[in-house]
Amino acid sequence: MDSLNALLGILFMPLLASLVIVLLGSKRSKAGPFIAIIASVGLLVLTFSLISNGMGEAVRFSWEWFHFGDHSFELGFFFDTISATMLTMIAIVGLCIAIFSLGYMSGDQAKGRFFAGLTFFMFSMLGIVLADNLVMIFVFWELVGFSSYMLIGHYFQNEEAKLASKKAFIVNRIGDFGFLLGILLTFWQFGTTNIEAIALAVGMDASTINTFIGALLICGFIGKSAQFPLHVWLPDAMAGPTPVSALIHAATMVAAGIYLLIRIDVLLAPSILTFIAYLGAFVALFAGFCAYAQNDIKRILAYSTLSQLGYMASIFGLGFPGIALFHLITHAFFKALLFLSAGAVIHACHHEQSIFKMGGLYKKMPTTTACFIIGTLALCGVYGFSGFYSKDAILIASYGAQVELFYVLVLGALMTAGYMGRLIWTAFFGKANSEKALQAHEVGFNMLLPLIVLALFSIFVGLIDYWPFALGKTILVDLDTIHHMDGYKSIHKLVVILGSAAWIVGLFGSLLFYGLGNKEDLLEKRAPSVFAFLKGRLWIDEMYSYYVNEIQGNVSNFLNFFDVVILRGILIRGGSGIVGAFGVGLRMLNVGKLNAYSIWFLFALLFIYLVASGTL
Amino acid sequence: MDSQLLFSAIWVPFIFGSSLALFSSKKGSNAYKWISLAGSLWPFLVAWYLFFQFEDGLQGGYQFEFLQSTGLDSLGIYLHLGLNGISLPLFILAGTVGLAAVFYALHSHADRIQLYLSLLLIMLSGLMGTFASIDLFFFYFFHEFALIPSFIMIMIWGGVARYAIALEMTIYLTLGALLSLVGLIALYQQSGADSFSMLALSNALAERPLIETIESNIFALLFFGLGILVSLFPFHSWAPKGYSAAPSSAAMLHAGVLKKFGLYGLLQIAIPLLPVGALTWSPWLIALGLCNIVIIGMVTLAQKDLKQMISYSSVMHMGYAFLGLATFSVLGAGGVLLLLVAHGLSVALLFLLSTSIYKRFATFDMNEMGGLGKIAPNLSVFYVLAIMASIGLPGFANFLGEFVIFAAIAEQESLRWVLFVSALGIIISAIYGLRSIGNVVFGTSEKYKGEEEFHSNDMKLFEKLPAMLLLGSLMIIGIFPKLFTDKANRDLMHLYGNQEMVLEETSQLDEYQDLKD
Repeated sequence: MDSLNALLGILFMPLLASLVIVLLGSKRSKAGPFIAIIASVGLLVLTFSLISNGMGEAVRFSWEWFHFGDHSFELGFFFDTISATMLTMIAIVGLCIAIFSLGYMSGDQAKGRFFAGLTFFMFSMLGIVLADNLVMIFVFWELVGFSSYMLIGHYFQNEEAKLASKKAFIVNRIGDFGFLLGILLTFWQFGTTNIEAIALAVGMDASTINTFIGALLICGFIGKSAQFPLHVWLPDAMAGPTPVSALIHAATMVAAGIYLLIRIDVLLAPSILTFIAYLGAFVALFAGFCAYAQNDIKRILAYSTLSQLGYMASIFGLGFPGIALFHLITHAFFKALLFLSAGAVIHACHHEQSIFKMGGLYKKMPTTTACFIIGTLALCGVYGFSGFYSKDAILIASYGAQVELFYVLVLGALMTAGYMGRLIWTAFFGKANSEKALQAHEVGFNMLLPLIVLALFSIFVGLIDYWPFALGKTILVDLDTIHHMDGYKSIHKLVVILGSAAWIVGLFGSLLFYGLGNKEDLLEKRAPSVFAFLKGRLWIDEMYSYYVNEIQGNVSNFLNFFDVVILRGILIRGGSGIVGAFGVGLRMLNVGKLNAYSIWFLFALLFIYLVASGTL
Repeated sequence: MDSQLLFSAIWVPFIFGSSLALFSSKKGSNAYKWISLAGSLWPFLVAWYLFFQFEDGLQGGYQFEFLQSTGLDSLGIYLHLGLNGISLPLFILAGTVGLAAVFYALHSHADRIQLYLSLLLIMLSGLMGTFASIDLFFFYFFHEFALIPSFIMIMIWGGVARYAIALEMTIYLTLGALLSLVGLIALYQQSGADSFSMLALSNALAERPLIETIESNIFALLFFGLGILVSLFPFHSWAPKGYSAAPSSAAMLHAGVLKKFGLYGLLQIAIPLLPVGALTWSPWLIALGLCNIVIIGMVTLAQKDLKQMISYSSVMHMGYAFLGLATFSVLGAGGVLLLLVAHGLSVALLFLLSTSIYKRFATFDMNEMGGLGKIAPNLSVFYVLAIMASIGLPGFANFLGEFVIFAAIAEQESLRWVLFVSALGIIISAIYGLRSIGNVVFGTSEKYKGEEEFHSNDMKLFEKLPAMLLLGSLMIIGIFPKLFTDKANRDLMHLYGNQEMVLEETSQLDEYQDLKD
């Protein structure tokens, strides 16, 4: 199969599946899941057939979308090793999650809508990955936002889902505001938004890099990848079904921000990169702290996602886009695994999400527990798991580039191990703490299978000579750079020692502090003020809701009052009052007849006309 | 042949409409339905047929020209019809929205439905005429022809306080129309052209440009006159009241098509013919356009009534169009054209859906709604997509219109601040759009809470078909904009390509004068 047809098939198969499910009408709940599975399998097959052609040259196709005058806007594919790495990850994770959803959503009446949304999301996400220009990226960028909105709001009768979906969309729009302006200014700066053409232009003349444009462009990343201060939507987005959280809010969509950064790398001035590095490190640590005050298993994982995105951003900012991509891929697998295992737990516990009401699950759900632990070990960067390779690379690179960020990131790793330990010891060990946890039993094989597959990926992705190295040249280049860094050996030793110390201290420290299967949060009991501070999450949400309710609401109410009373009531009505008074005056002249009015009317028109034509 | 068809798109709905008014059908007979359907289907089909006949390889200019003497030759008034790349999309818009509005009205259970349909058809005939007119007199005449039925419809079938509202709207819109009429007459008279035809005017003006003050005065008349018709800030207050009182099909036609008359006039006539005047007034275009976006946008946030929210949002979106015009570029003008069509379709769709939603909740107050997703899943899908289209989700035409306008503004360094302020609109519209989805579709309904057995009350076919027509058109344009842009390009280049040159010349002239000083 030639690459154009394969690319078209990859992009449009999910869209087709989504449309078919929507058009099925009342039958969509029955047939929807299977159509989605078929499309996901087809996507995977096409992806492999495309990659097996060999990834020598990048593949480019471009068509004109529309033009006005001399300005043309295009749609097109740009498929290089970076897109291939992303595509493969999306196809594999997507299929695993689609299969898992079969079991997880089986009791849901609206599963047709769910699978239509899931396939539409796949379409939009692939559009971002395959696009060859920024305008097209923006188009699909908004579409992933829309599908995420619909899927977060899946349980639409729920007040929580209503607010969360709205928040996610609006917060993302704020980021997109800057992103859109950045794209437009890029367009006029370079005369095109084609990624390759821009890279070429910058290569020829580096003075075309504009700090201001770069600052606008990264707003898109800050919104989509939920970086500070637009991070508020991601924890709330956990109101959606768990497979959605796994696919969209952990593995793929939130990583699209990082993917965008890698794509527009050349456009970002050094000051912007430094900003991203510090911002990422801050988020990595900040989110780690927030996770300690959360009881909901999914929200803990959401903060962990925030923190890991911070790692990717930070290392990207330090000048290692390849390592950011590497961590993006390993993170996608182990975080999808963690979310799906959490989904299995939630499913088994009849939608109980608080870890303090679980406990002792390892006896009832051994396979799920094993998978969750594998995911945790990978997340903590334990030697032998995929997370080790990417986290190791991040720490080494950051040590070489910016030592103070290195210590921040090591501290972040310690925090990660700590809150994951808290989660595991509390939820999976000890005794059952609620009726629901007592009745839990292992989920069916169709839900376990994707867990096992993802667990295998969480272990083996990242081993040398296995994918993603085979595809991602960018990754190899960056890894090569750090391997040839001065004093690599001693740095590596230090990183391994500190990294291992971080997870050992984190996991076992939390065991000592929290104990097994506790009913209540001991941090809250022993140090309520610390807990309250962590729960406050710097009160960003409170500030925003103050702004929305007090400031924005009052301004719009005032303007509404201004519009209705002042503008309409006084100015316009008042104006008509003057005309009315004039009319009364005229009536006193006793010309209240129709023809008299029309004569006045004509006079007035004549007057206006004379003024206009400059005679008066 | 094609020109006769073009003319028929005007007289067929008129004849069908007036026959409905003149002959009352027997009780129980459905003949009136078929007549009104045929009367609205015809212009729709003609519009699309002409779309495919339209040759885009030509050097711009009008096609399917139709010229008929009206006995006013001495005044230079002829019935001169034709379509160019700018009027063609609007002509199709009128046909599409007209068909959807009439079809929706067929099932509206209004009293005296035959009269209602007849007025709608007459209004449609005027709308088709407006966008097909080359002669400025008829351009104006057809607009009034469409305006009057809308007043009558509000008076008879309107909501609360319909007399007062209809009167206010009449005074307001007549004032706007008169100002623009005076402007058009002054333009004709000053240009020294021998007819009201746009072609004759533009030729005459090209040969003998107007004195700068006169040009700017005439432009001011057209700008404010037409601006009132498009609800330019601060002359917008007729719109929210008028639309919320109007019966749904009348609101669809008025907000969707008739309101576009003003901007179409600026786009096709005022700015190309009076470039210097437009340049003098461009700070006003920009300032008032921004007020439309930001101030009215904030006012929209405060609305609790669904129909009021849609009306205010429609006022807000007109602001982008004024900004697009103020860039005086092919790109800006093209964006305005796309936005006009897109907004016409989407606002008509929203008015249609708001009436359908009203039927489920018996209120327009959004705080008393909720749970539409459960009551009417398909209606909810339409509503969500319609709101998404109107707040500029890519894939729908509205996004392209706004995007191209933003791109045109971004071109000019001096308008950078305008770009930043106007782009705030995409956040504002997302907030009110999603808030309304949240209140209407999400949650649970108070009204249906007590009922044990759940009766779903989803869209009927007569609601689905027109909604699909409008939503489908929005998607087709949003995905394949080339359909319209390729046809419009020649004319836009012709009208606005020169504009750029004119501006260059004036700025060179200014520089020259600066040097002399």
